[in-house]
Amino acid sequence: MTCEEFERVLPENEGGHTIEQKSHLNSCSPCSDLVADLNAISEQARFLRDTDTDEPNPRVWNSIRIALRQEGLIREPESAPFLVHSQPRRRRLVWLIPAGALILLMFGVVQYKRAPVQLAAQKPVLSSATSEIADASSLDDQQLLEVVSKHAPAMRASYAANLRDVNSYIRDAEESVKIDPNDEQAQKYLMDAYEQKSIVYEMAMDRSLP
Amino acid sequence: MTDARKSQAQKISEVELIERAKQGDAEAFEALYHLHKRRVYSLCLRMTANTAAAEDLTQEAFLQLFRKIGTFRGESAFSTWLHRMAVNVVLMQLRKKGLPVVPLEDTIETEEEAPRKELGAPDPSLAGSIDRLQLQRAVEDLPPGYRSIFVLHDVEGYEHNEIAEIVGCSVGNSKSQLHKARLKLRELLKTSRAEKARKP
Amino acid sequence: MMLNSTRAAKVVVILALAGTISAVGETRQQLHFKVGRKPNISINNQYGAVSVKPGAKREVVVTAVLHSDKVEIDQSHRGNRVDIVSHLLAGADQSTGQVDYEVLVPADANVTLTSMTGPLHAEKLHGDVVMEGNTADVDVRDVSDAHVHVKTLNGPVTLTDIRDGHVEITSLGGDVVLTSVSGPLVEVNSSSGKIRYDGDFGDGGEYLLTSHTGDIQATAPSYASIDVTARSEQGQVENDFQLQPKHTSFPIKAGSAFAGTVGKAASSVRLFSFSGKIHLKKR
Repeated sequence: MTCEEFERVLPENEGGHTIEQKSHLNSCSPCSDLVADLNAISEQARFLRDTDTDEPNPRVWNSIRIALRQEGLIREPESAPFLVHSQPRRRRLVWLIPAGALILLMFGVVQYKRAPVQLAAQKPVLSSATSEIADASSLDDQQLLEVVSKHAPAMRASYAANLRDVNSYIRDAEESVKIDPNDEQAQKYLMDAYEQKSIVYEMAMDRSLP
Repeated sequence: MTDARKSQAQKISEVELIERAKQGDAEAFEALYHLHKRRVYSLCLRMTANTAAAEDLTQEAFLQLFRKIGTFRGESAFSTWLHRMAVNVVLMQLRKKGLPVVPLEDTIETEEEAPRKELGAPDPSLAGSIDRLQLQRAVEDLPPGYRSIFVLHDVEGYEHNEIAEIVGCSVGNSKSQLHKARLKLRELLKTSRAEKARKP
Repeated sequence: MMLNSTRAAKVVVILALAGTISAVGETRQQLHFKVGRKPNISINNQYGAVSVKPGAKREVVVTAVLHSDKVEIDQSHRGNRVDIVSHLLAGADQSTGQVDYEVLVPADANVTLTSMTGPLHAEKLHGDVVMEGNTADVDVRDVSDAHVHVKTLNGPVTLTDIRDGHVEITSLGGDVVLTSVSGPLVEVNSSSGKIRYDGDFGDGGEYLLTSHTGDIQATAPSYASIDVTARSEQGQVENDFQLQPKHTSFPIKAGSAFAGTVGKAASSVRLFSFSGKIHLKKR
């Protein structure tokens, strides 16, 4: 058996070698070294799992939590500590401030994921749901601005302007979806608008709070 | 408490957490996340060699898990189920980026990526001299297709038939690409050792 | 004459003292961290500039100028991760809480910069770049084989010479300018900010530029190879290219939408604005 022949069949030999292959290994030190090296790599690789000490950024959990709430998959305890790792100063505010934005986001996500046929069927419901959510949203925007005023008053005007812009975007996008619920671009506008709103809330929470 | 009892207590706790998570208990979700986040993140990091991508994929894997947790019946260990989901999420992402998940036979490799035939005097064997950190770095340097197959088989312990099913290739292809991945790692480790020897 | 020169000297001294007094309270710190390959560097600086460039060694060098004693630097170095946070003390404001950072990192570092005011700058890297700012001016140059993610509220965003990675930008009111940016995915989502793209839409990538009211101007060479769709609900659209028609269910309304292909249509280009103007220009 030549070295080329041996190397050709090597990938198949996970379970062991034939007599012919063993005989080649006994007489050929390059091939024997090759096999030893590949086995050493494979054995050492198992221990890489022992280095599972890296942790993802805490933002990963925050994003998961927001998404789960948006999708209605979790309910949070009313008075118990919110999160093991949350900063205590935010506890009082966490429910209050993003709740409105998340309701909007949930609405947007649900609408976006529904099939066009279902969306068309939902048309009459849309206008009443929209006005209820708009009321909730306006209340939460006010609360957000109050928090910003308290902790970073210089930023209040800027956040107020951003909220006006993004609410206008949401209104225009909702109007488009109302006109044609099958319009995928209109649905994407709505999603983008909600995403922008969630960024305003996220930045206000991150930057305004000490 | 003995190790066996601790493990038993942990298992029961996890079962309880899963049941509570199915009811929508936020704390249960969080506890499950913290229990498994390192394992999932490390897997994603090993397969992508990129922390930002690994974080995105960790997030996606847990989201998919939590969306489907209502369907978990305990036929396999929860961690196995989660692990498999994480692998699928990573592979889907690699496919989306147009990166070869497992390279086709001899078609996609560039000259740089393919393991080189050794020329000249033989190097001393690597056996007994590979350390974990060197190997970790070498794995990060592997082309994505080789890295996936190596991580799935040699690090995470998937069998070739499982890899073939997950990835959508033949068992033969899986074996062949694993062999090439190991050859490439050998080359990278030898180069790294030679560079280290040259430094004063 | 002597009186005049004495007076002049006094003025010089007073001016010099004024210069010194303005610098009183400023302190400079330098931190060094040894890191391995592809380290993760994160800098969270509420007020002040952060500039990141590649250094020659496998270490992170952070040079910080603190503008007062009402701010301190919290640092953490765990494994291959370095976290720097400007910690504002009681009574700090935008002026007293300002820290300006210049950071040297290995070129393969993944970098995350967060600031309210910025500016934020990164260049010549091939690790992922993530930047977040409120009004921060964001500037990223010469990044390849890596993702660039930017989120701002009103800060302008400028990306130049970005290749072979995913580019995702979300800006509410800040203008976004992309010059020679190409890759498998380039996505910009703006509300009122303008979007300007000047490049070749290369690499067979997906280019998605969307705004609410901001105008979108995309400039590409005559040899561009694109499958383009553009639409503005309430604004006008303009196109300098001779487009080959394509089979599409996309509604083409003259003056507010166009769709077609140029060359071999290797890349997909989508330009959407709700009420902004859209112009696809030929260079």
